[in-house]
Amino acid sequence: MRRTRTFGFHLLAGGLSVLWLLPIALVLTTSVRTFSDIASNGLGALPASFSLDGFGQAWGEGGGGHAMLNSLLVTIPTVLLALLLSSAAAFALSRYRIPLRRTIILVMLAGNLLPPQILLVPVAKLAELLGIYDTLTALIVVQVGFGLGFYTFVLQGFMRSIPDEIQQAALIDGAGVAQIFWRIILPMTRPALAALGALAFTWTFNDLLWSITVLRTGTVMPVTPALLGLQGQYVSNWNVIAAGSVIAAVPTVAVFLRFQKHFISGLAIGAIK
Amino acid sequence: MAVLTAKRPDTAFLAAKRRRRRISPVLLAFVLVPLVVEGFWVFWPALQGFYLALTNWDGVSAPTFVGLGNFAEMFSDDIFKTAAFDTVIWLVLFGGLSAVGGLALATLLQKERRGVGFYRAALFTPVVFSLVATSLIWQVIYQPDGVFNKVLGAIGLGSWQHAWLADPKTALYAVLVPALWRQLGYVMVLYLAGLKGIDPALYEAAKLDGATAWQQFRNVTWPQLRSVNSVVLSVIIIDSLRSFDVIWSMTKGGPYHSSEVLSTYMYATAFQSLRLGYASALAVVIFVLAFGVIVTYLVRAFREDS
Amino acid sequence: MTSAGLSRRRFLRNASLAGLGAVGSSGFLAACATSANSGPVKQAAGAVTVQSNLSSPEAKKAIEALAQAFGAKGGATATVNTVASETFRTQLPSYLTAATPPDTYTWYPGSLLSGYARKGLLLDVGDVWQTMGDYSAAFRALSGDGAGHQVFVPTSYYWWGFFYRKSNFAKWGVQPPTNWSEFLALCETLKGKGIAPIGLGAGGNTPWTASAWFDYLNIRINGAPFHRELLAGKQRFDDPRVKKIFDPWRQALPYFDPNGTAIAFQDATTVLLQGRTGMVLTGTFFADAAPKDALDDLDFFQFPILDPAVPVAEEGPTDGFFASARTPHVAEVKEWFKYVATAEAQELYIKNSSGTVLPTNPKAKDNGTPLVQKGRKLLTDAKEITQFFNRDSSDALQPTADAALIRFIQKPNELDSILSDWQTAAQKVWQS
Repeated sequence: MRRTRTFGFHLLAGGLSVLWLLPIALVLTTSVRTFSDIASNGLGALPASFSLDGFGQAWGEGGGGHAMLNSLLVTIPTVLLALLLSSAAAFALSRYRIPLRRTIILVMLAGNLLPPQILLVPVAKLAELLGIYDTLTALIVVQVGFGLGFYTFVLQGFMRSIPDEIQQAALIDGAGVAQIFWRIILPMTRPALAALGALAFTWTFNDLLWSITVLRTGTVMPVTPALLGLQGQYVSNWNVIAAGSVIAAVPTVAVFLRFQKHFISGLAIGAIK
Repeated sequence: MAVLTAKRPDTAFLAAKRRRRRISPVLLAFVLVPLVVEGFWVFWPALQGFYLALTNWDGVSAPTFVGLGNFAEMFSDDIFKTAAFDTVIWLVLFGGLSAVGGLALATLLQKERRGVGFYRAALFTPVVFSLVATSLIWQVIYQPDGVFNKVLGAIGLGSWQHAWLADPKTALYAVLVPALWRQLGYVMVLYLAGLKGIDPALYEAAKLDGATAWQQFRNVTWPQLRSVNSVVLSVIIIDSLRSFDVIWSMTKGGPYHSSEVLSTYMYATAFQSLRLGYASALAVVIFVLAFGVIVTYLVRAFREDS
Repeated sequence: MTSAGLSRRRFLRNASLAGLGAVGSSGFLAACATSANSGPVKQAAGAVTVQSNLSSPEAKKAIEALAQAFGAKGGATATVNTVASETFRTQLPSYLTAATPPDTYTWYPGSLLSGYARKGLLLDVGDVWQTMGDYSAAFRALSGDGAGHQVFVPTSYYWWGFFYRKSNFAKWGVQPPTNWSEFLALCETLKGKGIAPIGLGAGGNTPWTASAWFDYLNIRINGAPFHRELLAGKQRFDDPRVKKIFDPWRQALPYFDPNGTAIAFQDATTVLLQGRTGMVLTGTFFADAAPKDALDDLDFFQFPILDPAVPVAEEGPTDGFFASARTPHVAEVKEWFKYVATAEAQELYIKNSSGTVLPTNPKAKDNGTPLVQKGRKLLTDAKEITQFFNRDSSDALQPTADAALIRFIQKPNELDSILSDWQTAAQKVWQS
């Protein structure tokens, strides 16, 4: 009985995974074809060539190591800063009876309800005003500002369900607010922080809209908008673009794989039987 | 609920301590610093955006004030009506299916066992992959002689073949598939984190009582997920109403507006027609819609919790 | 508590390691990092920034070669900054209204330019034109801002036509047509052989290719002046003269590739080369989508003449450069313009790019292939040159054309409502 259930599970989960990865596999096969092959036979045809030139071209023309560095220089500080600020706000708003706390949460979330496309022009002008237009700092600050409402909202949802006794015990022990935050509540929110961290990394890394808005020069472009630049005015080298997408996906998939362990630690007693 | 009972002070000492330390300055900073950052980069531009909704602006010259003229125009705008209707369809289908699907996937993959890490990563990969490449591949899949039609023909459903993205009747629904493909992994991750927070002892107790898997879900999982649910469902609503990237990159709202939703119409108005005033008005409509839906749901959820 | 503490420590360790890693690697590539982090990217004195939307690899190579050659002459230098063309288009208003705008930009003349010129954002380059020799009057008019000043320097242009594969035509035993009835007869023959005679790539992200049909039918039947007036908002889309041009289109519709509105133009090129369609109305840029060995096999014929009384007009979109009026490097910018207008610069560009464009300088040589010679002759023989729908009207009007024309191709019987809807949508654009 156990064996059939395990087999059934792997069949279902495996089947779903294969289905899910099929389009990705198509991207991979496109990335190792030559341009002539694609131009002669179309994108949907079975590959008639094999070449790793696409990767070399994507790396070189897409900004290479420089663009990847830009991406990391933006993404890592953004994720750390955004999660720090939003977990602090979520902690205060969910564990303490601050007046108007629910209104504040809603207001912060409301900031994410406005379509970002309409804020592009005011934000660009604001960045110019502060003299940080066309710098990575602007991108970091803008991404942090835009993520705060959402991350706070998500984290407070998770933090509300932490039992109060632990906090009360710490209070009796004489812990201050900051200590309760750092030593008790934050570790208990680890699954949510890890999940949100992986997602935040992905979104910030793959962001196009803000990069295009606050950055203008090729040397400061992160990887994702640099890849967009691989598309020509009329004609695009799809193999190069596919290869570039594969390169750009590597850091985000790696982060997810690394972080997903944290979804499981903590209350694991009895889960493995 | 545990939180409910614990919030009432059970000793006079703790009550006094909490009353004395009404709001510590550290707490104030915890709230105010993020609020100020968000206020500067989001609320201030948003206010400017709201103001723009009352103007005509082409992005270059000075805006001209027109009061509620843009909103009046919306009432007689057929494309707006189409877009609004499509947005509702999208909200129900995309939102509903990603909630159900994400929870199902998370439930399936929550236990730690051999291979589950790979399965989770597989489902999350589309979330991570660049939209440029994946929309290209999906367009190829949907082409009249592409993979999807070939499979339909092979299993004998040849009469179902369509030019999925070019046929106005099927365009919106066709885009739903890659949108869900990109969204489910993400919802699954949120639900996974929520499911991890449920005490396994509750499942043990239920199993001892002889509960089936479905009863366990209904009586243990679902109630325990309540606060996570309010978050996840809000996220799904926000994402559905702001769904832009996938639809735009696959059809640009076409063919001739048959897959137009409010966000694509707003983008087209802002950056193709260069009518930033009208586009801002559309953005205000999207905002009001999203806010209205979320607030009614959340106020109810908050009230239940305390 | 201890297990949670250990895991938390590990988590924090990972996070701080990641942070250290970022800091460490930024130390290694100090040059990039410091220039990226220490304020906006500054340009060297005496350097001209060229903001370019020529993002295809060959065009990008060509313009960078141009910038290098310019710098090698001594004097001012030029740095090219390339962004994706769609990004460029949506950000152009931002670039022009920024406090420190880029100096020069690749772009197109005509109404796309005059909008910005009317708002005083473009540099007057009349003195550069005086050194440019005998460019044709058409180019001079095109580069004006409508008030007598020149604000644009054209450097290349290309043509549109019905492109086909010589070997395929030979295989099917057919000849290029010279008038409309021959064209329809050719379509009938090809259809009989099981080939979709007329290819189209108006699906995916390229619905604008359908506008070529509208443009050509309009300039063949109503003439270029009417066409320009229509696109400028001085005529109506539900005018009976506009409705008339859809009659020949309806005659040709049965011969269109049934998948024409479902595939992007790059795929339509592949389908043409594979011999599944007979010919495609397209511009020479499509040659970039063809594998190199197919280029010699390509030929084209002119869009058939429908009314011999109408002066022959052709679509000859022109590319070139303009400059921001607020640039601090006026002298260097004018040096750049003088350079790109010379024959040697244009020949250098053609040599480095795909080779199917024509130079605007009358003394410059094109790349000499029979195809290009034929194209050049086509354009020099034409009495009027139009630029293409969006370049003659505006980027804002293009989506209205896409919606209307795709709908016509799929539902030709709804023409009346299509045209009245088009007029409504167009009016909104012109009034804003």
